[in-house]
Amino acid sequence: MSQRHTPNEVRASATPEPMRPRVTRRQFLRRTAAAGGLIAVPYLIPASALGQDGNVAPSERITLGGIGIGGRGSGVLNWMMAEKDVQFLAVCDPQKSRREKVKQMVDKRYGNQDCAVYKDTPEFLATRDDIDAMLITTGDRWHATMSVMAMRAGKDVYSEKPSCMTIAEGQAVVETANRFRRIYQTGTQRLSEAKFILANELLRTGRLGKLHTVRAHIAPWDAAEMRHDWLPEQPLPSADEVNWDAWLGPCPWRPYNAAYCRGGWRGHYDFHTSCIGEWGAHTFAQCHVAIGATDTSPVEYGYVDNPTGDGMVTRFANGVKMILHRGDKWWHGSCGVRYEGTEGWVAVADGYSKPEASSPALLADFEKIVRDYTDRTGHPTSHVRDLFDSVKSRRPTVANPEVMYRSMTTVHAANICMWLKRDLKYDPAKAEFVDDAEANRLRSRAMREPWII
Amino acid sequence: MSNSELIAVLESDAPQKEKADACRQLARTGTKEAVPVLAAMLGDEKLSHMARYALEPIPDPAVDDALRDALGKLNGRPLVGAIGSIGVRRDAAAVEPLSKMLAHADADVARVTAGALGKIATADAAKAVGQALGDVPAARRPAVAEACLACAEALLAADKGSEAAAMYRAVDKADLPKHFGVAAKYGLLQAQKPAGTP
Repeated sequence: MSQRHTPNEVRASATPEPMRPRVTRRQFLRRTAAAGGLIAVPYLIPASALGQDGNVAPSERITLGGIGIGGRGSGVLNWMMAEKDVQFLAVCDPQKSRREKVKQMVDKRYGNQDCAVYKDTPEFLATRDDIDAMLITTGDRWHATMSVMAMRAGKDVYSEKPSCMTIAEGQAVVETANRFRRIYQTGTQRLSEAKFILANELLRTGRLGKLHTVRAHIAPWDAAEMRHDWLPEQPLPSADEVNWDAWLGPCPWRPYNAAYCRGGWRGHYDFHTSCIGEWGAHTFAQCHVAIGATDTSPVEYGYVDNPTGDGMVTRFANGVKMILHRGDKWWHGSCGVRYEGTEGWVAVADGYSKPEASSPALLADFEKIVRDYTDRTGHPTSHVRDLFDSVKSRRPTVANPEVMYRSMTTVHAANICMWLKRDLKYDPAKAEFVDDAEANRLRSRAMREPWII
Repeated sequence: MSNSELIAVLESDAPQKEKADACRQLARTGTKEAVPVLAAMLGDEKLSHMARYALEPIPDPAVDDALRDALGKLNGRPLVGAIGSIGVRRDAAAVEPLSKMLAHADADVARVTAGALGKIATADAAKAVGQALGDVPAARRPAVAEACLACAEALLAADKGSEAAAMYRAVDKADLPKHFGVAAKYGLLQAQKPAGTP
């Protein structure tokens, strides 16, 4: 993995030197010893830094950077820093309070002051060629654009969900990842959780019989129709405190209001993907993977005359229905999925210790089935571990770009169906709605300059 | 509101928010009739993006004519935006004027121009970015190189494997960050596959 630089060394180099040969820690120590006439490396280096006592030597660690890390991102970052072969080096955020909070958290964990901070993403990406992978946990509006920018800079990416604002953004993520052979993981963690894996495996192995229906939970807050109003204008802070232009990124300009930066962006059309995207990013991805629809999306979307999309029936080309549900009729937890076949059903949601099923016999081999899954696929039951294993092996993650793009296309198509208040047909191969010019216009949004990818 | 009413809002002294909202609606319903008034907004720093927001999805060649015409009149961010929209619309007729902007003094203009040519990806676009690859300063080379990769992908998709291979080799030989070499070598493998190999 990448060699380490101190923040000062990196900042002193304003121009990226991408072709500079990388020096491993061991090479560095050898050269230093030779230059100083030493015959041995210093003996006071702690064992942990040398990779002893079960630790991984710094030169072998995956180097990680972060962009836009807030509350949710801090949780993911803590999971990532718990991995022994990962070293977090630097954070970038247009908000001073957030980047400083992350630095404090990282420095406290490592017991040093080494976490570098940046406020300008292009500079961050251009100068830190020592960073292998990027954790992107901005607001939704930036996920895809930032992922593309990071992959163009040679980084592997973990992006929080919903990972694209439009169908076109999803395509751009796939295209860039394929072009540069980058590893990408969208933050649909349930694809790596044992109880959800069990449900998928019961379906895949035919124990539910012939599948006919999957049900996907959508969030119980917000509506499918989103806000277009502007919050009242407030005095703009200094660019160092909040760089509002960078915060908005590719979205249409609007006047500053601090509430946006405190999470109040949710529910606004420019920044959010509605109640359908909020949980559908998870549950649709679950369903897509469960039924093997990782290279397609439903071809039909039935409009429902309510504010949320509750009860919308979508249909895949093979006839399988995916039905959107709000509330607790089918689950007693969040982000639930339910698969129904001719021989039985299985349902699972957050808060379950194990899935519920039509027959206890279906759940009898829970641990073995999950173990067989990990043996067969190589995907562990840890979402962040799956990313880091893939960074090393270059094998696609469980929540790879195509999974993200196809499941988020389903989110966007369902939203568009609700916005236009009519049934839609979609051609997944052409990535276009059938005979509906207005729907097709909603597949992309012009990006605000200069944040054009 | 009807398209005529939306156009009237844009021609009025309405506040920025009202004009932005009119642009949002025209993005869904606008036709050729809206193009002149939207094109006239392209140089307005406050409304340029929303004008493109409306123009970009209008399926009429009048939009391409307007964006191309604006290239010689705009500067700074509005110019960056217009070029970006030309790329999204894959306007092949814009290759010639765009080719001259790869060396633009404004780094953002040059970067987005390369991206637009990569999206257009015609033979002429490929030729333009291929020539620029050896000429541009190091800091601008990655954007041009990615455009070369995009053009090579298009050539490959059009069964022009040998031409794609030439582009991949050019990127592989250029002084670029190592992930470009990875991309070029992988592309070269695809381009050199015997016909019919999956």
